[in-house]
Amino acid sequence: MNNVLEVHDIQTFIGQYHILEGVSLEVPRGSITVLLGRNGAGKTTTLKSIIGLTPPKTGAVLFNGAEIQGKPTFRITGQGIGYVPEHRAVFRDLTVEENLRIAERKKGDLALRGDFIFNLFPDLKRLIKLPGGHLSGGQQQMLAVARALVPENTLLLIDEPSEGLAPVIIEQMIEAIRQLSAYTTVLLVEQNFIMASQLADRYTIIESGRSVKSGQMADLVKDGDTIRRYLGAT
Amino acid sequence: MTGFLRNNRTILLTLVFLLGMIAFTFQGLEPKVGMSILLSGITLAALFFLIASGLSLIFGLMDVLNFAHGVIFVLGAFVGLSTLMNPRLLFNTLPFFLSAAGGVAIARHLGTPLWQRVNTERGRKILWWSLLVLAFALLAFGLRRFPIRTLNAFSITTVGGAVPTALAQEPLGLMIQRVAFLFLAGLPFGLAVAPRELRQENRRAALWKSIAITLGLLVSAFAILLLRDPGEQFILGLSVDWRFLLALTAGTLAGMLAGAGIEIVLIRPFYGNPVTQLVLTLGLMIAGTDLIEAVWGEESHPPMEPPSWFNGACRSDSLIAWFSEHCRSIDVLGRAFPTYRLFIIFVGIAIFIGVGILLKRTRLGMIIRAGVQDSEMVQALGINVRQVFTLVFALGSGLAALGGVIAAPFLGVFSGMGQIFILQAFIAVVIGGMGSYTGAAIGTLILGLARAYGDHFVAAGIDLPFLANTIKGSPAIARASTVLIMAIVLLVRPAGIFGKKE
Repeated sequence: MNNVLEVHDIQTFIGQYHILEGVSLEVPRGSITVLLGRNGAGKTTTLKSIIGLTPPKTGAVLFNGAEIQGKPTFRITGQGIGYVPEHRAVFRDLTVEENLRIAERKKGDLALRGDFIFNLFPDLKRLIKLPGGHLSGGQQQMLAVARALVPENTLLLIDEPSEGLAPVIIEQMIEAIRQLSAYTTVLLVEQNFIMASQLADRYTIIESGRSVKSGQMADLVKDGDTIRRYLGAT
Repeated sequence: MTGFLRNNRTILLTLVFLLGMIAFTFQGLEPKVGMSILLSGITLAALFFLIASGLSLIFGLMDVLNFAHGVIFVLGAFVGLSTLMNPRLLFNTLPFFLSAAGGVAIARHLGTPLWQRVNTERGRKILWWSLLVLAFALLAFGLRRFPIRTLNAFSITTVGGAVPTALAQEPLGLMIQRVAFLFLAGLPFGLAVAPRELRQENRRAALWKSIAITLGLLVSAFAILLLRDPGEQFILGLSVDWRFLLALTAGTLAGMLAGAGIEIVLIRPFYGNPVTQLVLTLGLMIAGTDLIEAVWGEESHPPMEPPSWFNGACRSDSLIAWFSEHCRSIDVLGRAFPTYRLFIIFVGIAIFIGVGILLKRTRLGMIIRAGVQDSEMVQALGINVRQVFTLVFALGSGLAALGGVIAAPFLGVFSGMGQIFILQAFIAVVIGGMGSYTGAAIGTLILGLARAYGDHFVAAGIDLPFLANTIKGSPAIARASTVLIMAIVLLVRPAGIFGKKE
């Protein structure tokens, strides 16, 4: 099985609104794949549809070759998917340690991977007793990523890790994601094209709820036309 | 130290404010009067808290405004009273619950393959409703002409003694038939709620587990039925202390069961649809009161007999003396105060600490605190949030029912006893901040004290510095004062004292 995740032509409605009108994508094992597209194109909804927070009405989602669409969210993520939502949803009233511990799927997960996590984000070790709400934006983002690393996950879905962060912190974030991708496969949503191009192996572009183009990131960087047409930036 | 002060600023300021108010009101009063008002206020607060804490947790986690919470409080009181005075009802209805649960347990295991065969959404909907109709039909058939009202009749004229009913028991054969029917009724219900897909775990082991649970439930159901006469005699022969403990347990369990049932049947299908949930719980508040009147009658019952520890016909000088004397009242600065009310305060504080530890120290508590902020994210971490919802609903309802049993020797037992409490608990939760546990505690404390002082000043009048005459009000003003407090708090802090701004 070469692809950790395959999404086949999913359509998702939120209320009466037809948000995804046909998204397909593949995430090869060991890769970093990035979802690109303008604001409101449906990137976040795609991630939420994969883990069943906004279940797709039609289409199929395959995780390690098995269909997962239609299952309850906790069953889907329980199979080994880590989700880092946008706006870094850390639990404000829980301490940093509790934020990590709550993600344990088996007792001792944190003890097992704690060293790896604190190596990646040394700041968190210092802040371990502080409530999540007292952290800065960058620290919260690190905590949100760290939380997804606590259980054994074969796929991480990371939504806009650079949003609202200072350039220095973004550098740290890029480095951390690059390091952790040695252990798991990553599907990334990123508006910041520079960050995306530094990290990703593959890309899929979403435009008005449809996936319109996929390929190797190296090819996209050279393809100025596509970038201008779908992403509107250089 | 400064960090601690800053982090706990709200709670410290509120406590200082409360203490200041108490000190201020003490000035015009004799110390013994002030003290007894203070203790009465805290007693009320403890009762409010038992309701408000569950209300606040349920709202915080699930965004459900549970108006049915007051009915659970009343249910607890009545189940407690029945257990204490006339255990016959318990012996005759408990087997029903057990056998139905047995049916659910086994069918829940067998139902999964059935659901896997029915794949379309439409087919599943039809199957769900037909199973539910079948379950209720069997239930109705099994329980037709079950004389719950006469079984439960007990004379209330002799307060303080258990009164066995003069009526004959239902024939055993008929009861066994009913139990069998309820087992059958449990089957379609279990099929309906069976998991929709197989899990990876060992099916064979799971089957044996289900069979063992079912057999255990059925055996205990029949055991209770067969032993109902000696059992009844045994319980009636117990001392009032043991029966009170039994009443506490039975009432709390009944509340938890009712809470879990309400969540699964009425609330769960409507998450994300708060108006429907609100209307349903409102309807349940009305229908539940009627249901309780149908079982227990409309008449009000005098206060339940308290345990002998709080019932000695004497007056203790101090707590230490009370330990050996078990007097009904205790001397507080020269004035008698009922010891049972001290017990209510004790239970309130114990529950506050106990649930606080549950929230702070356990994994379940961690999940609840996280879920209050963002239950979707908790779900995305691979945690079955719906299960936690049911658990918290059961837990909150259990607390309310416990409150009902505890209140019974203090207030008496009548079907409307929940109404005042649910309203005050709501106001307390709003004052403290929706979803905040500490807020619920502080809110109930404020309300309890306001009621106690309000009642006193309405009766005694208030001397204001520049007025010649004492101002006297009607009791309605004391009751309205809580709403006034809510209005003032909300003007200053729209989300309540401990509420989080979104």
